[in-house]
Amino acid sequence: MNATSPELTREMEEAAAVAHRMRVAREKRARNMRLMKHVFLIVMSLIMLYPLLWLVSASFKPENEIFSTLNLWPSEFRLSNYIEGWEGLPISFTTFFTNSLIVTVLSVIGNLLSCSFAAYAFARLQFNGRNFFFALMMMTLMIPYHVVLIPQYVLFLNLGWIDTYLPLIVPKFLASDAFFIFLMVQFFRQLPRELDEAAMIDGYSVYKIYWIIILPLSLPAMATAAIFSFIWVWEDFLPPLIYLNDIKSYTVPLALRLFLASDGTSAYGQMFAMSVLSLVPVVLFFVLFQKLIVRGIATSGMK
Amino acid sequence: MKRFLVRNTPGFVFLTPWLIGFFCLALGPILASLFLSFTHYDMVADPRWIGLDNYLYMFGRDRRFWKALGVTFSFVALAVPARLIMALAVAMLLDKGLRTISFYRAIFYLPSLLGASIAIAILWRQLFLADGVVNKVLALVGFEGPAWISDPHTALYTLVVLAVWQFGAPMLIFLAGLRGIPRDLYEAAEIDGTPKWRQFTRITLPLLAPVIFFNLVLQTIDAFKVFSPAFIISNGTGAPSDSLLVYTVFLFNEAFKFFRMGYASALAWVLLVIIAFFTALAFLSSKYWVHYENERD
Amino acid sequence: MSKFTRRTVLAGMGAAAAATALPAIPAIAADRSIRHFWWGNPNRDERTFKVIDIFQQHHPEIAVSGETVGWGDYWTKMATQTAGRNMADLVQMDYSLLFEYSRRGALRTLDEHIGNGLDLSNFDKGPLSGGYVDGKLYALNIGSNSQVMPYNTRLLEEAGVTADPITWTRDDYAAACEAITSKTGVKGSDDLSLVTENQEVWARQNGRGFYNEDGTLGFTVEDVSTYWDYWAKLREADLVRSKDKTVILDAPFAEGGMIKGETAMSMMWSNQIVGLQALMQDPVGAGMVPHKADGKPGQFIKPSMFMSLTRDAKDVEAAIMYMSDWVNDPESTAILGLERGIPANPNVRAALEPNFTPPEKVSVDYFNAIQDKVGALPLPAPKGHNEVRDAYMRIGTDVVLGNKGVAEAAEEFVQTASDILERAK
Repeated sequence: MNATSPELTREMEEAAAVAHRMRVAREKRARNMRLMKHVFLIVMSLIMLYPLLWLVSASFKPENEIFSTLNLWPSEFRLSNYIEGWEGLPISFTTFFTNSLIVTVLSVIGNLLSCSFAAYAFARLQFNGRNFFFALMMMTLMIPYHVVLIPQYVLFLNLGWIDTYLPLIVPKFLASDAFFIFLMVQFFRQLPRELDEAAMIDGYSVYKIYWIIILPLSLPAMATAAIFSFIWVWEDFLPPLIYLNDIKSYTVPLALRLFLASDGTSAYGQMFAMSVLSLVPVVLFFVLFQKLIVRGIATSGMK
Repeated sequence: MKRFLVRNTPGFVFLTPWLIGFFCLALGPILASLFLSFTHYDMVADPRWIGLDNYLYMFGRDRRFWKALGVTFSFVALAVPARLIMALAVAMLLDKGLRTISFYRAIFYLPSLLGASIAIAILWRQLFLADGVVNKVLALVGFEGPAWISDPHTALYTLVVLAVWQFGAPMLIFLAGLRGIPRDLYEAAEIDGTPKWRQFTRITLPLLAPVIFFNLVLQTIDAFKVFSPAFIISNGTGAPSDSLLVYTVFLFNEAFKFFRMGYASALAWVLLVIIAFFTALAFLSSKYWVHYENERD
Repeated sequence: MSKFTRRTVLAGMGAAAAATALPAIPAIAADRSIRHFWWGNPNRDERTFKVIDIFQQHHPEIAVSGETVGWGDYWTKMATQTAGRNMADLVQMDYSLLFEYSRRGALRTLDEHIGNGLDLSNFDKGPLSGGYVDGKLYALNIGSNSQVMPYNTRLLEEAGVTADPITWTRDDYAAACEAITSKTGVKGSDDLSLVTENQEVWARQNGRGFYNEDGTLGFTVEDVSTYWDYWAKLREADLVRSKDKTVILDAPFAEGGMIKGETAMSMMWSNQIVGLQALMQDPVGAGMVPHKADGKPGQFIKPSMFMSLTRDAKDVEAAIMYMSDWVNDPESTAILGLERGIPANPNVRAALEPNFTPPEKVSVDYFNAIQDKVGALPLPAPKGHNEVRDAYMRIGTDVVLGNKGVAEAAEEFVQTASDILERAK
């Protein structure tokens, strides 16, 4: 080891000092960036949260205060909207929530199963007419629902399905929602082909590959689809409106509308209170299933 | 024959539920609406065949049809890019390492949960009237805002804001896509000293392309078909001065308010052709910018 | 021009495949059953379900299914059920859509049931007449109402308005707006430029109606332009609600100017006074639509709601029994009260009287006070009315916002409306 000249030492010290300053500066910048990121996220959160806060606050307000003030803080907190609202319609909300849960849970299961079937076929299997069927499927996304409503009503009427949950649930088991098929197709196509090939060599059938390889690897996509289908079915309004007649079979969104009147006394406070409650299952489902999206990291690491 | 079966059986087995659903439940009503588009149909009396009259009236004489088309195209052009960029930006922000990430993710999804409910309609009026919250905030910085929701020149922007604000769905899909990009790619790039923006263009964008493509196609289709937000904000009328008269609100009123289901069906098929055209464009262009992992070689 | 039957056209195409695969379940069980469909609100639904319970007690062999949704959704669902030939046996009907549904053949006549299951012996002739279309009874009046100008009594007192709201004129009303705005700081009135119901009264005072007997537009350009001018003057003098609120069409009841404390007077239907009072602190009074000096009576008493028997009714006898009870049975009518409007059966009215709440009393007193000041009931609106109403509000919006001149816009409206009515024929 040679003795270093004083110049060299100084230069090295200077270099070290510069490097240190740069590191400090970089860290500072990184810290500032993180801070800015947080500030940005917090400000955005407030904008995002405002309507929910407004909704929750309206649900505690007395009827004549909801429209007359913009204050987020009610003059007095009233639980009565919740207590009276739950039994505020001729049928209790216990029934409406049960109905909604039945329809929604079955629909989610139906969607996930049938759409992943179709998506697997479109994304990873070869068969005659694949592109043709795919185009047909995309077409069902493009037609406005309102013009097929009446022919569909007549169809279900002839099947004797009106005033039952069948028109709401059965189509879900028949992959009626092309959105989910297309979503899953996009994710399935991203999975490495070598996995299938390896599995084939090991003697796996395509059915087993779907079940053992494709589905588990697509957890983030399936979780995303589950979240959407839960939310959308839970909030769906037009099909239940058209297909359900008996008030005892109403779902929550239909029931919420019963609080309102165009020509008389509405019960806005109770409507908002029940709206807040109707968000609870959706938020719970969201929080539970979004974990699966995150957990996707572990699995996609094996690529 | 045997080879044909071997080749096709698995595909059709997996496609069976969809095939049953399509041919038994979806196709009939779709064809019925095509047929109805050539009839006068008031939903009470039986449909009466009038040939191309609905289409001729639409293109030749119905000024509100062109108005609705204009409003819809403006909405698509403004809302789709804004919503996608917002969704992608936030998804990328949330994808990387913040501990509080799941908290933010839930919060950013909340507006989308409220959907197009009555609460949103009421709230939107409280925000965007002349004396609403938005203008009060603007007044603090010395700016006098217009009457937003009541002004035909600005009403559509409130609808765009609502669409952008409810960016939860595309955000979640982007997030799921970002989760699928292997971390080691970024780590390798970091070691090579590749700048962040180049990591974005070289790694993120290409690997996310299938998901971007999905969101682009679906958001465009949805935007062309946008109904509930415009319907609830304008109480079903498309007011003021038809500035919120998006295509499907127009169609809905023709069908259920004015008893012209035949005409509405014709409107629907015209919209279908328009959407199909843009979707086809997207699919054709995707050959050049969307590459799939398993089809890369 | 060929005709198609519905079943071959709509159902045949898709249903055939599915129908063979799945046996249809019979919709009706062995017992008798009827369906009653109405647009509601929480209060109305509660009352109606109670009446259904009472009917079930009297007739355990007939199951009644009560089906209710809100006004906006009601007509979507109704149209769908009509198209599917699956209407409820009994439906609630509105005066503005009576022609649309009866002339298109969706409703059955009631004439043959009068005195033969349907007891109308105690029914006032005036209210009954509203349900006739082309000389046949298609709809039974289940309540009457009229136009009303509700006012905030406290604000009018503070402003020292002395004109009698039952007999006041257009000028009195404008003067009241002036007094209220200057003395209380609250605007005198909602801007009614886009309210077709008020425009109609205005035109009737001029001697014309919304529509002529042949279904063409009754309004002249002058009727429309003078009306819009009247409100434009009030608007320019800053005596009415701000225009950005005025152009929000069909806004929810609860966002009205009087409820939000922005105005002292407005316009609605008389059966809504009770609902209005429920959302307000100050007591509400009821006035008539201001009269034209030396003009004709503009207001009229109309059926606020009907009950109709539909083309698809399966058990007509049971449905008529239910209908008859609805307007006669003391127990049921006591529960229904005034919620749907003033009952047409004087015995029912007398029985209700001792139990009126204060706002109910206001609306009944008002109803009695206007009896000799109203004109004849106009014919139900022709096909296309919904669209004419939309066009009126749309073109009027441009006037309110100052984007179009009154004269030009009035011309445009009359032309547009005539085109719409011609197309709807």
